[in-house]
Amino acid sequence: MEMPAAQLQPSRANVLGSACAWSAALPFLALLALGIAFPLFGGGYWGLIATRACVYWVLVSGLNLVVGFAGQIAIGWVALLTLGAYTTSVLTAGNVTPALPPYLALVIAAVIGGVFGLILGLPALRLRTFYFAITTVGFATIVTQVALAWQSVTGGGVGVAGPIFPPPFSSPWGFYYFCFGLAAICTWMTANVAASRFGRALTAIRDAEVAAEASGISKPALLAAVFVFSGAVAAVAGGLFASLQSYITPDAFTLDLSVLFFIAILIGGRGSILGPLLGTILLTVLPEFAAPLVAWSTFLYAALLLVIVLAIPGGIAEILDFKNRRPLESHRAIIPRPELLARLLGSPPDAGALTLEQVALSFGGVQAIDGLDLEIRPGQVHGLIGPNGSGKTTTLNVISGYYAPQRGKVSLNGAALPLFSRHRRAHMRIARTFQTPRIVGAASVLENVMIGGTIDGAATFVESLLSLPRHRRDEAMLHDTAMLALTAVGLERLAPVRADRLQHSELRFTEIARALMLRPAFLLLDEPAAGLSAEEIARLGALLVAIARAGTGVLVVEHHPDLIFDICHRVTVLNLGRTLAAGTPDEIRSHREVVNAYLGG
Amino acid sequence: MPISAAEPLLVAVGLCAGYGKISVLRGIDLKLEAGEVVALLGPNGAGKTTLLRALSGLLPWSGSVRFAGRDLAGATPRDTVKAGLAHVIEGHRVFTQLAVLDNLVLAAYGLPRGERTARVEEVLELFPEIAAKQHERASSLSGGQQQILAVAQGLVRRPRLLMLDEPSAGLSPVLVDRVLVVVQRLRDAGTAVLLVEQLIEKALALADRVYALARGSIVLEARTSEPDLPLRLEHAYLATTGRAPPSG
Amino acid sequence: MIESIVSTGVAIGCIYALIGITYTVMFSASRVFSFTAGTLGMLGGVLGALFIAHFGLPVAAGLVLVLAAGASFGIVTEIVAVRPVLRSLDQHLYVLSTLALALMVQQFTAIEWGTDARPFPRLFDIDRGGFDQQLWLPMLACIVVIVGLELLYRYTLMGHAFLAIAEDTYAARALGLPERRLRLTSYALAGAIGALAGFAGGEMLLAFFGNAPLLTFYGFIPVALGGMGSNRGAAVAGLLLGLFQQAANFLVGGIFASVAVFTVFILVLLVRPEGLAGASLQRRV
Repeated sequence: MEMPAAQLQPSRANVLGSACAWSAALPFLALLALGIAFPLFGGGYWGLIATRACVYWVLVSGLNLVVGFAGQIAIGWVALLTLGAYTTSVLTAGNVTPALPPYLALVIAAVIGGVFGLILGLPALRLRTFYFAITTVGFATIVTQVALAWQSVTGGGVGVAGPIFPPPFSSPWGFYYFCFGLAAICTWMTANVAASRFGRALTAIRDAEVAAEASGISKPALLAAVFVFSGAVAAVAGGLFASLQSYITPDAFTLDLSVLFFIAILIGGRGSILGPLLGTILLTVLPEFAAPLVAWSTFLYAALLLVIVLAIPGGIAEILDFKNRRPLESHRAIIPRPELLARLLGSPPDAGALTLEQVALSFGGVQAIDGLDLEIRPGQVHGLIGPNGSGKTTTLNVISGYYAPQRGKVSLNGAALPLFSRHRRAHMRIARTFQTPRIVGAASVLENVMIGGTIDGAATFVESLLSLPRHRRDEAMLHDTAMLALTAVGLERLAPVRADRLQHSELRFTEIARALMLRPAFLLLDEPAAGLSAEEIARLGALLVAIARAGTGVLVVEHHPDLIFDICHRVTVLNLGRTLAAGTPDEIRSHREVVNAYLGG
Repeated sequence: MPISAAEPLLVAVGLCAGYGKISVLRGIDLKLEAGEVVALLGPNGAGKTTLLRALSGLLPWSGSVRFAGRDLAGATPRDTVKAGLAHVIEGHRVFTQLAVLDNLVLAAYGLPRGERTARVEEVLELFPEIAAKQHERASSLSGGQQQILAVAQGLVRRPRLLMLDEPSAGLSPVLVDRVLVVVQRLRDAGTAVLLVEQLIEKALALADRVYALARGSIVLEARTSEPDLPLRLEHAYLATTGRAPPSG
Repeated sequence: MIESIVSTGVAIGCIYALIGITYTVMFSASRVFSFTAGTLGMLGGVLGALFIAHFGLPVAAGLVLVLAAGASFGIVTEIVAVRPVLRSLDQHLYVLSTLALALMVQQFTAIEWGTDARPFPRLFDIDRGGFDQQLWLPMLACIVVIVGLELLYRYTLMGHAFLAIAEDTYAARALGLPERRLRLTSYALAGAIGALAGFAGGEMLLAFFGNAPLLTFYGFIPVALGGMGSNRGAAVAGLLLGLFQQAANFLVGGIFASVAVFTVFILVLLVRPEGLAGASLQRRV
């Protein structure tokens, strides 16, 4: 009787999902219509403003992926605007190179922009937040200084004429449609990325980096992709900007402009496309309403940024998030459906055991683990208990690749696991949860769970950018699998809810659903019962037993004796990094030394 | 306002506290008389450290806590220290960049200079082993000596209640005994002590009363003179349902 | 020639070092870097010119007012941009709030004071030439601040409290130290130091609103390279930076000197993200 209902759920969700998609697209469609019809009611001056807004948005849409999604504080992105502007202008002017057609110049600028975007962005992988922010500021200052000094190419302080695009884009309204078209394409592309596994992976890197690693997401590859894309579109925006200005000099590219782009994204809200789009329009248009405002514009942007950071960190996107203002049911129970696990996890993998042999590890003089033997067999639940400081979490971290053992071996099916390779564990179908749930608070529960399946997507970044069929197949697959996982753990009703509205216990089960997306051969749980009520612990236990029965090897690190003794097939007790006892729960429960160690003594 | 002789030094009713969304303490009722030594026992994750942090104001809490006749709602650690409640946190964390003497003087921050010097001297007399090293940096002390320094810091302001969070953690048995001798002296001098300890036998030997905490609730309260205490504690921790069987 | 490079390099290096110390004092008190450090330097120069050249106040009074203004801005930074975000879960918000505040002040200055670099008054009526005051004033300020801070940290109770909070905020709080008040005082102190840097370096850098982004960047390099939280490291790195910049200026000219500085900075950080003398990153899981 249960099965048919479960099968019904996903397709109903799909219908609701497409209804959701249409309501999400509505604002964009409205803006599209407004933009196309604009010349009918806007005068020449407003046409210029609108063109400028489109040009800025071309840059901001790419920067949005870097700042809003990846969470990198790239303040000096005006450097790429400068680069693109000068590149297209110089190439079309024909003073240094033979004069090239403007479209070709734009493409070359995009390539150069992509390269420099990567150069500017890569330090983000090594540097802390503030340090990276400062380097982008420094870079922006330097690019402007170079433009000033390299007179033979850039014309120095005198400047150079911007490119002129051939008809039909040579007239003001023609050029407006050109820029509007590019802006619309950029909106579409970045919206595609946002709704792809790459967009979700970026938010995971931003807000839950540890969980991203455990899901197999490679930070360098992903950041490289967005930096290249962002650099390329920024350079294109530069070319358009030069054409709009007709003539560019270095002092058109002030840090103020960079700040405008950056603030537009933050006012709009991170992780959103619509928010920063509205933010860009707002910031471009605002100073036009009163002459004195123009001089004070950067001051106002900064003041607005301060207000947003202190009062509404989610920005415009948060204000427009009506869906998440609806109150949730107050007494929500998490009711897992273990019978769905067989469908979710598929047939048990042919993996052997996960073994630790004589593993030892010390930190600065303290022996955290000292000669530990442990074997996790598929289909069994293995408990790892012990007092604080006994090495339980360290053991988990060794298995999941955060630490390399100094002695001994960790092997899967006889083959040694590679050292220090925590982002490869997901590929080996070893999944884990964390002591404190690592969740992307700003994303929905469903999106959080879909992050778990990132490595199962087949489409490349470019395919997602262009919403090609393989991308759409990925999305449908990930969506359905995630809904199944959520139903299995009992949270399907909360799928569209923002994750930071959930209770602690619900977040724990969300993490488990996310881990299940990997169809793991081994599932490692770090104190999953902490903060759960007795009822929830019982349900958690039943769920873990069912996961094991489906063929996964489960390791539970815990304090709570109830959970351990009820569900584990085998228990290992650690004390001061060594095995104190190992055996079945009954053997352990009556073991005198264990009781003493557990109670302290 | 006269405090009736019957009101205990510390009374907590329905105390709830946690970290962000994770609630750890689920309605604790606890009381402590002046001059008593009370041991707080329980397995890891039960909430013992959380309880001390709530009482001293390091964590926000809800419920009711009264200390020395005052309501502690909204009190910061600075307020509780001034009211006479000292909390020696876990892990013998002293300021290694500063001299031993300066560590102690900092504990008296806010008192007039003359009183500061007098109190610090008093405490140094209680602990000759660190008095000998008073001008050296705290980093040169051994783990056990640092723990003694931390306890000494707690005593500088002559608190009415001293809360110690696992003072024996990471110390050799000899040093553990040394620390517990200090606790005994405090009890003899009339200071109340709330002691969180992992070493059950030693704690029971020292304390007048004991509370056992498990999964965020008090599961046992008894005088240490009662029989069968170790067994009752075991039941209380490992039982799958709430409270321990009564004595007898 | 060498003499000139060295003396200018050391002088400007002292200004960078002082801004670096401003960053460091704020960081020690709150574990947060504030974008307002460079802006404080700018204010020191602009306000100094305003009070002394424009309003005609005597030099001593001008200095006192500038220090007071710096301290006030430091306090405002703590209350408005730092304290509110320390409480929140997203640690990175401090970058944005301090950036916003710094920008507001810079823009206000640009509008009210003007976007041109205006001259800074001569503080002492001595002839130019030789080892001029525009060179030894920054050096003097740097020495005074470094010695002063050493004395503060070593011999005063408040200095000890600052060190305690910098080492272990949690233990300091549990001990009953007035954490909030001490942090506020640290920010006021940092503000005064930043303003002093701009005041002492006023003649060299001129009273210019554009000094803010310049000092924000160049003042941060000593901190990044000298290791977080180390005043001495910042001082040494600041001097080296000043010398390197002047030498590069002489050898390859202004623009490429900037590129050179930037490249060295990036390369050093990429190789050692903690700085040349910094602490290692902590366990995350």
